[in-house]
Amino acid sequence: MPKINEIIGSAAAIAKGMSVTFREMLNPSITDLYPDAPPLFEERYRGVHVLQRDENGMEKCVACFLCSAACPSECIYIEAAENTDPKRISGGERYASVYNIDYNRCIFCGYCVEACPTDAITHGHGFEIASYNTATLIYRKEQLLAPLPPGAQVPLVVNEEPVGAGH
Amino acid sequence: MAELVTLTIDGAQVQAEKGALLIDVCKARGIEIPAFCYYEGLALQAACRMCLVEVEKMPKLQPGCTLPVAEGMVVKTDTPVIHEARKSMLEFLLANHPLDCPVCDKGGECELQDMTFRYGLGESRFLENKHHVDEQQWSPVVFFDRPRCILCYRCVRICDEGVGVDALGVVQRGVVSAIAPSHGDHLECDECGMCIDICPVGALTSGMYRYKTRPWEMNHVGTICTHCSNGCKTTLGVRGGQVIRANNRDHSGINGEFLCVKGRFGWDFVNSTERAQSPMLRTNGRLEPVSWSRALMTVARKLNEVKQRGGRVGFIASNHTSNEENYYLQKLARQGLRSNNIDHHRTGDVVTLIDALAGRTDALATVADLYAAKASLVIASDLAQQQPLLHFQLRANWRHHRSRTYVVTPGPVRERKFAVKSLHAEPGRELDAVESLRDDLSKEPELVILFGDAIQGDAVRRLVAFGDSLGIPVKYVCLLDYSNSRGAIDMGLAPGLLPGYRPVAEAGLEPGMTIAEMLADASLDVLWVVGANPLRNARLAAENAFVVVNEMFLAETAQRADVIFPAASAYEKEGTVTNVCGEVQSLKKALKVMGAKTDLEIFGLVAAEMGIDLGPFQPGAVFEEIRREVRGYNVSLPVIATGGAAQSVPLNGRVPALTRAELIQSARDTLFTSGTLGRYSKNLTSVLEHPGKLYASGIETP
Repeated sequence: MPKINEIIGSAAAIAKGMSVTFREMLNPSITDLYPDAPPLFEERYRGVHVLQRDENGMEKCVACFLCSAACPSECIYIEAAENTDPKRISGGERYASVYNIDYNRCIFCGYCVEACPTDAITHGHGFEIASYNTATLIYRKEQLLAPLPPGAQVPLVVNEEPVGAGH
Repeated sequence: MAELVTLTIDGAQVQAEKGALLIDVCKARGIEIPAFCYYEGLALQAACRMCLVEVEKMPKLQPGCTLPVAEGMVVKTDTPVIHEARKSMLEFLLANHPLDCPVCDKGGECELQDMTFRYGLGESRFLENKHHVDEQQWSPVVFFDRPRCILCYRCVRICDEGVGVDALGVVQRGVVSAIAPSHGDHLECDECGMCIDICPVGALTSGMYRYKTRPWEMNHVGTICTHCSNGCKTTLGVRGGQVIRANNRDHSGINGEFLCVKGRFGWDFVNSTERAQSPMLRTNGRLEPVSWSRALMTVARKLNEVKQRGGRVGFIASNHTSNEENYYLQKLARQGLRSNNIDHHRTGDVVTLIDALAGRTDALATVADLYAAKASLVIASDLAQQQPLLHFQLRANWRHHRSRTYVVTPGPVRERKFAVKSLHAEPGRELDAVESLRDDLSKEPELVILFGDAIQGDAVRRLVAFGDSLGIPVKYVCLLDYSNSRGAIDMGLAPGLLPGYRPVAEAGLEPGMTIAEMLADASLDVLWVVGANPLRNARLAAENAFVVVNEMFLAETAQRADVIFPAASAYEKEGTVTNVCGEVQSLKKALKVMGAKTDLEIFGLVAAEMGIDLGPFQPGAVFEEIRREVRGYNVSLPVIATGGAAQSVPLNGRVPALTRAELIQSARDTLFTSGTLGRYSKNLTSVLEHPGKLYASGIETP
């Protein structure tokens, strides 16, 4: 008797185990096939930063330095310059002529994004920044900027009456 | 002792001087009453209504900034009614004030920002669009953003009362009232930038600092301005090896918050692209960049060779180098090369004054004395043009203490506006005019006499004799041109004087050649020019002389050089400088410019290369030696180390008469020029080039 009980018990265990297997076989897979397929990100994932543009293609960043002030690892370096009427880069009176983020130091805490008064700096979903050469980890503005919206022309050249520095 | 009254502030019994303003009494007690328009030292305005307090038996809230304390007054500064009033005031101020703090230059050091954080409501009930007016440029240095202005009138008052230029005013009334420049759309003024500094918001901004960075991004280094001889403390904002701005908002130093256009904007020569950044050696008739070791070796070999064959070496020193450098240079010349041919461009006859005052210790005025003295006499100098801080002090003294100023000048000067008596005196006849003031002056309780280079040699002695005959305490200021003109003569950069005004005979030397004699001496072998430009208006007679130049810029003298050492400016070194009143203050190194070395290091390295031991060439060590060796320089170290000014007292014993009158001449720099330095400051030249928009002549009809 004990033998039969053992066989039945084992078969039940196998059936139970296989039931999980068969059930999961029918469900969609949750494994990312990275690098063969692009990975899935949650909406609020904090990846490599993106400097946003407004609907006209102007940079949103006005070089207020608040991100750099908020940064706990001091990885943001900015140089500011003034917009002129013939050559406008950003919507405000000034723009960032240099905007560097040092990804050797960035801890992706998101404080810069929180500090930004113009929603210019955001976290993107980029994460493939590993490198054998740390020098390549200092990203410049050109690498961080969002692509131009179709049809936008920047720097904006104003041919009409000069526009005053608006607020 | 003034009469005291007892009042109650927030439940505590307080004693205060009768007539004192409530806001000041509260401040002294550590109670803050917020205010925008109230500014110490300026006239009362009561424009901003931030300082409202509750006073018992008064029906409405009272402005604390104009309320004199009285016996039995019961004041409350911290009640719900006051909190509400402050919130409403800020809400009104912000009704049209744009919330563009992220791009505003003032963001981070803005009083309105601070007040809103501390006392504000946090939100606004005004939903209407804010009134917008485009930004205006009033001058190369002053920009005005009208919507940001809160109409506190501080700029109007500092310009009118403080500086005495009266270039700003208020136009219109009610909601459309606005600050405006007195010449319609632009300023004709000193371009001192005091209005920019004093603005509590970002309405007035500096053209040089505009949109460059934010206040917290800079290192702030308090050092001494390197232009005129007044020795103002200027706090440089430095970022990434560049000077970005200068001001003195912490009111430290002898100048408080005052700076003129040179101190506030004339720093950009430091980062000029024309700076010499490599030593240069003349090879085949052309100046070529060489290594430091090659340049040092060439100079050391040449000096050793000339020294061995007993040739003639001359040194022309600078009005801008530090005391340590001056001391070390004269040591190099006198001990190292046994040469007394050392001189600098002398701009005032301090030597005769020191001699005439021999034995007295309190006869030299300090900058603070000019603000405190009951009376002062200005002889043959346009202070507003050449000595801006001294002018500011005299003016403040007149405003606050009703001091009495007498003026004896060849032309109209600004002091005439407030002087009790101003006399016209032909050049050379000044002392006659002074003599005619004898009756008035002898009635004064005390007097400070300031005199320019027109009074030199025997005239100085006659002036001191005149001062003595008045029978009142008299102090003197001998006016000089540049940042360390006084230190240069104190440190013995003269052919007949050792440091501390000792005759060269004490060191067993014969007096050497003056600048003019060196330039005219056809047999000169080596001429070493340190931070000076003597060949601008003169020729070097010795065609074959080997010329060594320590310079920042390749000006006329450097073009003739055989070796050029790129020198560091005063903003790139440690050390001490002595101002026109003999006050010793310390320089702080703000930045390093690639390629340049300090003059002290250059002298030390050349001496080492020559095999001469002159002691360590480190500023602290040399200053210790100066304190030991130079008479009058045993000044208090803690005072200097903490950014203070200690007056040197070089008044011991007689000084040998040695000066030939024609050797002393002021360069007559104006408010906007500063010798060679000024030529390489784009900020200063931009102000000068600003067409027709200058206070150029310094002349106002009294």
